Amino acid sequence: MIAQAVLNEWYPVAMAAQVGAWPGRQTQLLGSDIAVFLDAGEIVVQRADGSALAVCLRYGHVWACLGTPAHDLFPIPEADQPGRRLVDCGVVRVKCSPLRAVENFLDIAHFPFVHTDVLGAEPHTEVGRYEVQIREDSDEVWATKVHFYQPQAAKSASGGIVTEYMYRVAAPTAAVLYKTCPNKPDAWDVIGIFVQPLTEELCEVWPWMALFDDATPQADLIQFQQMIFLQDRSILENQIPRLLPLDPGKEIPTQADMTSIAYRRWLKRKGLTYGAQMVAA
Amino acid sequence: MKLYDYVLSASCYKIRLMAALLGVKLDLVAVDFHPGREHRALAFRNLNPAGTLPVLVDGDLMLTESTAMLVYLAQASGRAWLGDSTPARAAKVQNWLAFSARLGASLGMARLHDMLIYPGDIDAFRRAGVECLRELEAHMTEARFAGRIFLEGDAPTIADIACFPNVALAPDGGVTLDDYPAIRLWSRALRALPGFIEMPGIHRLHELKPAPEAVPALEDL
Amino acid sequence: MSGMWVANGLSQDLPLGVVMAGSWQGAELAIWRSATGRLSAWNDRCPHRGMRLSHGFVRGETLSCIYHGWTYGTDGACSKIPAHPAMVPPAAIKAEVYACVEADGVIWVAPAGTEVVLPDLSGLVAVRSVTVQADVAALTRGLPGFVQHGAVWRGQVEGAAVALVVQDRGASVTLHGLGAGDRVRLSRWLDGVRRLVEEGVLA
Repeated sequence: MIAQAVLNEWYPVAMAAQVGAWPGRQTQLLGSDIAVFLDAGEIVVQRADGSALAVCLRYGHVWACLGTPAHDLFPIPEADQPGRRLVDCGVVRVKCSPLRAVENFLDIAHFPFVHTDVLGAEPHTEVGRYEVQIREDSDEVWATKVHFYQPQAAKSASGGIVTEYMYRVAAPTAAVLYKTCPNKPDAWDVIGIFVQPLTEELCEVWPWMALFDDATPQADLIQFQQMIFLQDRSILENQIPRLLPLDPGKEIPTQADMTSIAYRRWLKRKGLTYGAQMVAA
Repeated sequence: MKLYDYVLSASCYKIRLMAALLGVKLDLVAVDFHPGREHRALAFRNLNPAGTLPVLVDGDLMLTESTAMLVYLAQASGRAWLGDSTPARAAKVQNWLAFSARLGASLGMARLHDMLIYPGDIDAFRRAGVECLRELEAHMTEARFAGRIFLEGDAPTIADIACFPNVALAPDGGVTLDDYPAIRLWSRALRALPGFIEMPGIHRLHELKPAPEAVPALEDL
Repeated sequence: MSGMWVANGLSQDLPLGVVMAGSWQGAELAIWRSATGRLSAWNDRCPHRGMRLSHGFVRGETLSCIYHGWTYGTDGACSKIPAHPAMVPPAAIKAEVYACVEADGVIWVAPAGTEVVLPDLSGLVAVRSVTVQADVAALTRGLPGFVQHGAVWRGQVEGAAVALVVQDRGASVTLHGLGAGDRVRLSRWLDGVRRLVEEGVLA
């Protein structure tokens, strides 16, 4: 039995530009078989029984809701900002809880060990104090003033810098980060991950970017992001248990994990427990 | 020398790795294999009608098979890597280059299936992959009895570089390496070579560097 | 008590400074050897975010998790959290420790505190470990004439004594092979045993 709160959320199910005619993209959402296809110029998402799902097209992706949408899809104002390049990075399947995929995206402390010499490197492993809040107005989790030393923060970066980050959980399986833009110090690069929960232990992840970078070829930008995300994949597939434990005590966080603590609390409070483990096994 | 490259391709990685170990600089041209399928587009097919990656271009020379590229790089910049000191050794290296194609068709396809959602019979890919790993494990076990750690002879050759990527990335396709101790130690020996570079799915051997004595304070950077 | 000890590999396959995956009954383990040769077996799970410690790395007398570099001493206690270099990790952060010993070239694991009682495998030389996709019950098919004593199956191959130490992993079985004969021959014979057992399971 899937909680109504889970069913009433929006989830990414395809890259809009890649949707073709029937049979289109045959996939799953929250354990239900669905098809995403083009019919008379319109993108349709339907269940195996032929019933159609609520659909919206945003940020290059097709979003669907299995229940009754509780609200509009979250805004990313930077997506409409002039001068930004929007980059769809394709999809990667990962054998893990969709919530673990999001939590990993919110994590900085792993950079030196998993994204070695790119997003982090020993001895620069310290995570300073940063601020975390659950914003009641937008109902989102935010982390701000996050600083970390990075050898190559972006494809366009030419050396090590202390990067500033902001993290934002915009939906149970979608998160956005804002980080120092190497080409435009007064602006933020925006990177999202949109996670499609196929089942509680299997997801497909769509990285997406909105950057100020006119110079780097598209393929280089995509490959940089894919390189980063695929470095995480072997971690995500080897966490035990596969489900994200929401009970404190099953996993031990520290101050560097404040974003993840808030994310877990927010999920629990909202009853968004698809992909989560409630009772310590 | 220009390599048309895709960061997640095991075959492209063979060439990047070989070049790094030889100290040869490659100009990498990123091809949007996924999601753009640029390798199937007309412009790329004009370069390589087969529509496959990698492609190596050096002056008038254009190569489309990764094993041929390994031979070319080793011939030009590190002949010891050819492993051809005797007729038998040269032939055995060729045997492994052919074997590496089986690894790509089994473990490599299982990885594409599980990671990039390629179609195909995943059970058949994995079964064929396990067969390959068992053959490799048996070979490496006997090599270790003889005091060797690389596929042929006492030093690494293009045979090791051709086989390593799809073996090391087997877990990406749902095939465990836990059952193959000799393969594990062979893989470690390659990862510890001077100049070795990783690709996503193959982590740095952090133990090769000592633990940092002091961590610089973030506010001082 | 000897039934509590589960063979987890051959000493020759776990050199100094290396970690590997292991098992004890249903539990998954990380087994590692420090720079000075000290063996440890822990639950294969970093207490921080559940990452498998068998993917980690050994530096000196410590094992670190590949995910965030949390570092543990041979007693299982966390000694370093790289994200907080100035912090002394609380004593509560500790890997779950098993007993781990080696004898006659075989690595054995049992719950902490188990009395050490191991089969005598002296006089035999370690050959290799082979994993068979079958359950323990299917082994008899590949080992005609072998006699089982607990986890050890003993017999003769071409006139030479052979012992196979069985690691039951549920859906599969790992055979840790030792023998008095030529190692290459025994290694190839083990491939044949696996084929026989697995063909029997498929048939």
